[in-house]
Amino acid sequence: MTQMTESQFIAFRDVTKVFEAAAGDDIEVVEPLSLTIARGEFVVFVGPSGCGKTTVMRMVGGLETPSTGTITLNGKVVDRPSREKGMVFQSYSSFPWLTVFGNVRFGLKYRRDVSAAEKDRIARHYLDLVGLTPFADFYVNRISGGMRQRVAIARTLAADPLALLMDEPFGALDALTRERLQLQLLELQRAERKTVIFVTHDVDEAVLLADRIVVFSARPARVLRDIQVAGELPPERDFEISENPAFRRLRQEVLGLLRSEEERAEQAGLAAAS
Amino acid sequence: MPTATPRARSQPKGAAPASRPERVHRSPWKALFTFRARARADLEVRIGVAAFVVVIGTWLLTTELGFIKSQFLPSPIAVVRALWGLFENGYIRDIGISVGRVWGAFLAAAVIAIPLGILMSSYRGVGAFTEPLVDFVRYLPVPALVPLTLIWLGIGEGSKIALLWIGTFFQLVLLVADDARRVPKEFIETGRTLGANDFALMKDVLIRAMLPSTVDSLRITLGWCWTYLLIAEIVASNSGIGYELWTARRYGKTPEVFAGILTIGIIGLASDQAIRALHRRCFRYLA
Repeated sequence: MTQMTESQFIAFRDVTKVFEAAAGDDIEVVEPLSLTIARGEFVVFVGPSGCGKTTVMRMVGGLETPSTGTITLNGKVVDRPSREKGMVFQSYSSFPWLTVFGNVRFGLKYRRDVSAAEKDRIARHYLDLVGLTPFADFYVNRISGGMRQRVAIARTLAADPLALLMDEPFGALDALTRERLQLQLLELQRAERKTVIFVTHDVDEAVLLADRIVVFSARPARVLRDIQVAGELPPERDFEISENPAFRRLRQEVLGLLRSEEERAEQAGLAAAS
Repeated sequence: MPTATPRARSQPKGAAPASRPERVHRSPWKALFTFRARARADLEVRIGVAAFVVVIGTWLLTTELGFIKSQFLPSPIAVVRALWGLFENGYIRDIGISVGRVWGAFLAAAVIAIPLGILMSSYRGVGAFTEPLVDFVRYLPVPALVPLTLIWLGIGEGSKIALLWIGTFFQLVLLVADDARRVPKEFIETGRTLGANDFALMKDVLIRAMLPSTVDSLRITLGWCWTYLLIAEIVASNSGIGYELWTARRYGKTPEVFAGILTIGIIGLASDQAIRALHRRCFRYLA
């Protein structure tokens, strides 16, 4: 059992999702999906925009309920959001009425297993880990967008979740900040051994970060390809890696898949409209 | 935006500029009349004061020079004199009574409207049940309810407070529900994934996030509360600013009528500015 929850730390079993639109016009968002994610794996979901990859991730977070099928995390069925599933959003990721420290400390607010002094210590530790100690007393609208995402990451890690779910967390950042945060995130993930699901539509970001890339089809989401990156690229990565032939091959593979999928979806859309 | 002045441009090439190019001088007054430009705060205050000076000056001129009969528009001097006279005859008590009625009804409305508005937006069951009722009452003209409040509560303080409460509560509850609804769902979901239950979410996330706009909603409804106060005091009262105003009208004392209007304007301006100042103090993080 323990062995199994290690390799099937997150498990989708025949999961579907249907959004009920008005007048019984249901929209199928996710086709029957079966997928397992091992503990400590960094999995990146890519797919055409609006394909349902975010919905798949939100179901792991308990923020959406599967229409059929089950999702388990560490052997337990996911039925509601909890501290075990930490989320980092693209926007509104930190609370404007709290300072940087207050935001990170909020990650521990509802933990009953640690004392107040211990909470302060843990919050300071994660603040330091993302390099924001000098900004502890700043309100978050005083710091840059990149720093705000670091606040959100520190807060989520401070809550000590089993899985870290990130919904295009660097999508709104400029290229340089984004690069720096990507490497910082990798470093943090290697140090904390967290299981990560990361949603993006940036292919370079996907290849740089992933142990494994799951490419989804246009809506309804279906796994087009499940690519093991870990075997092809070393675990320690920096920007030099984009010169690596394996990196370029993986990038081309994912891009090619997405291109032909966009085209197919467009054709299908045209056919349906005419 | 021009960054180089003509003088800077005419400098010989290669010669290191000894002094930095002169900053383009722009009148700070110009920003006041540039579309969506930011202006200096002190200039805005000065313009605000100027508006009062212009209005009062015109008023003074037209009345003192006898363009308008004082029966219609008394001069500001007569109004100030009337105000003085009112104060000598216990006007402060009337002001106290009126302010007390407004704040009493307003606080009673807020204490119920804020939690109810939050629940209406948070739980669809509560919203579906209350929204149609609230909407129905909200569209009733408050004066139409005067006979009912008089029948039910008599001519004492109860009927006045009730009238103000009705006028304020049903508007405020919908404003608060909207404030709560506008809180980004990311905030709520972040709270949930950090282990907050429903109550903690409302207390630690929702209220904190909506508070700045709720204070604005309160400020706006406080203004409406004064409107209903005048109706209540005119219809059935023997005290308060509205009563004094109406009594003065009955005896044709136009300066006193103006004095009453002025009092309400000043109190309104003062409380509005006080709440704005409080807003700036409490929500520094928005700056």
